[in-house]
Amino acid sequence: MELPPVLLQIIINFAIGLIVTISLNIEVGFLGLPQFGRLLAVITGAIVAAAVPGRILALYLGLPWGADYAYHMNNFGIVAKVNELLAANPVLSIGILILTLALAAVVGGFVGYLCSYPALRLKEAYLGITLLAFGDLIMTIAWNYEPLVGGTTGVSVIDPFVFVGGKTRFTVAALVALGIAILVYLYAELLARSPFSRVLKAIRDAEVAANVYGKDIVKVRAQTLIIGGAIAAMAGALWALYTGSMKATTYTRLTWTFWPWAFMMLGGTGNNLGVLIGVLLYAVARTAIIIYKGAISAVLGIAPEWLEYILIGLIIVLVVLFRPKGILPEKPVLTLPKEKIRKISEES
Amino acid sequence: MLDLVIKAVAYSSCIGIGAAAIALIYNTTKTFNFAHSSMVTWGIYMVFTATYLLGKSPYFFVALSALFGAFLGIIVYVSVNRRLIKAKANEVTLMMSTLGVDLILFGFLNIYSDYLLNKYKFPAKYFALETRDVFIKIGDAQIRLVGLVAPIVLALIVIFLHTFLTKTKIGTAMRASVENPQLAGLSGINPEVVYLLAWVIGGALAGLSGGLLSMVITGYTAVGMTIVVSFFAGAIVGGLYSVYGSLLGGFLIGLGEYLGVTLLSRFVGAWIFSYRPAIPLVIMAITLLVEPRGLVALSTRFQRR
Repeated sequence: MELPPVLLQIIINFAIGLIVTISLNIEVGFLGLPQFGRLLAVITGAIVAAAVPGRILALYLGLPWGADYAYHMNNFGIVAKVNELLAANPVLSIGILILTLALAAVVGGFVGYLCSYPALRLKEAYLGITLLAFGDLIMTIAWNYEPLVGGTTGVSVIDPFVFVGGKTRFTVAALVALGIAILVYLYAELLARSPFSRVLKAIRDAEVAANVYGKDIVKVRAQTLIIGGAIAAMAGALWALYTGSMKATTYTRLTWTFWPWAFMMLGGTGNNLGVLIGVLLYAVARTAIIIYKGAISAVLGIAPEWLEYILIGLIIVLVVLFRPKGILPEKPVLTLPKEKIRKISEES
Repeated sequence: MLDLVIKAVAYSSCIGIGAAAIALIYNTTKTFNFAHSSMVTWGIYMVFTATYLLGKSPYFFVALSALFGAFLGIIVYVSVNRRLIKAKANEVTLMMSTLGVDLILFGFLNIYSDYLLNKYKFPAKYFALETRDVFIKIGDAQIRLVGLVAPIVLALIVIFLHTFLTKTKIGTAMRASVENPQLAGLSGINPEVVYLLAWVIGGALAGLSGGLLSMVITGYTAVGMTIVVSFFAGAIVGGLYSVYGSLLGGFLIGLGEYLGVTLLSRFVGAWIFSYRPAIPLVIMAITLLVEPRGLVALSTRFQRR
């Protein structure tokens, strides 16, 4: 079974975009952190997916797995052999997929934890620029340090979906990504209804007051950065596995930090459903631009990729100016029904 | 080696000018200007277009870049920034709005360069105006003119800003509204004029920095996105709250990038060259973590003693 390419494009753009933007929304929408370094966690996840599982399997097969693994003359052959192994072993493939995602989440969470150090000392513009710098720093290192992910030549990424065969793998991979995106969305919704999110929003709206009421702001910030980093790293890993290759310069702050910001603001900062709508609109619009590429450039006489930049820029400016709360503004946090509260108070 | 130092000085001066523009706009309007990257690149493209169209030396057109930068500054202020300041938007919203503007300017810049390429067959996707620079012979050494012009422009800007901010009435008003906006408003200073002026001067400095940079670096449409990090780093290392501090910070960042990497390569090997873009980031991160107030903190420390 294969999905038509148009639908496939929409699904994969939507799924990856949703995971990244939800993670951003938890940090920006709920806690009010100026997270301009989303790229950092995403690229970390992609590096984990490109560098770790392939090496483990290469070691198992007795192939070069150290610094040689990423060397461009070896890499293609090694990954092809690893993929042969994976094609014959569906169970191993699924195990490797889960292991990769879990590992990406752990490393992403750790990176988020590291970010909590500057996040305690700096505010607003300063913090935003620092986080942005961290993301670019990792990108520069991945681009130049060849033993990690092949430097300027990049590396092939092993394919845990290869066992389904042929082009169907793209469909399966996209559907898996969609499934994970839905799980992440449900998690974020549960989070939004939990006492934890009320703490986050209290800190966002009145930090001093939250502190006075005994909330440990340092700890809560670190926890939020860990959660956000872990989710975003999964998106990076999924994207690397889906595309089957990893090249550092395809992970720019524009695509992985600023665009998610734009979708989040369009949909409604702090509202998960709004974020979902924002990402969906983008995924459809982007696919439409790609499909009607020829027609657009014939009518307007310009290359459509620039139109995409202008469109996203316009969305940001117009939303900021005329609808600062987005399409679906954030709603007050749901509390428990009256009956339930009475029951609890009677019990205690 | 001499050429390297001269190029480093020219590059550093440009970064200093641009960093001062960021600090000026940030201090007056509380807007951290992300559109800076496209404003600088438009400056580069203005000089490029005029040089190729009219065939004269690029130096004649640096002023054009400054004018165009000021024009972009006015547009950004009137169309976006003014309304947001009126609505009392927070710092992050102001920052995001300029990011949107940056993407729009970047899109139009690419369309413009496509047009130049298709209509006039200019190499608008990748060009080096370095070759059109004037080389002066002093003894055996050849010195590129931009190595002299850029620091002189930097010095002139310092003099201009100092005179403007301390000797003129509108400059004093500007400083007053940076230090205490409410009090300045009460004493009859129109904040909108001050904001507009900040965007005009800031935009002009950004354009000027781009115009001079065109003779130092290779030009392409995404060049702003690459070097803007150096401008941010310069502004933040300088302390963001001080225009002169940022100017100095930008200069130091530029030197660190150009000369630091060469010095380091003597000790650790040539592999360090490819990590050049990381240097401003590292300097900035260390500054922020150790002394977030940047170079300004040093000067106040001296005063206290």
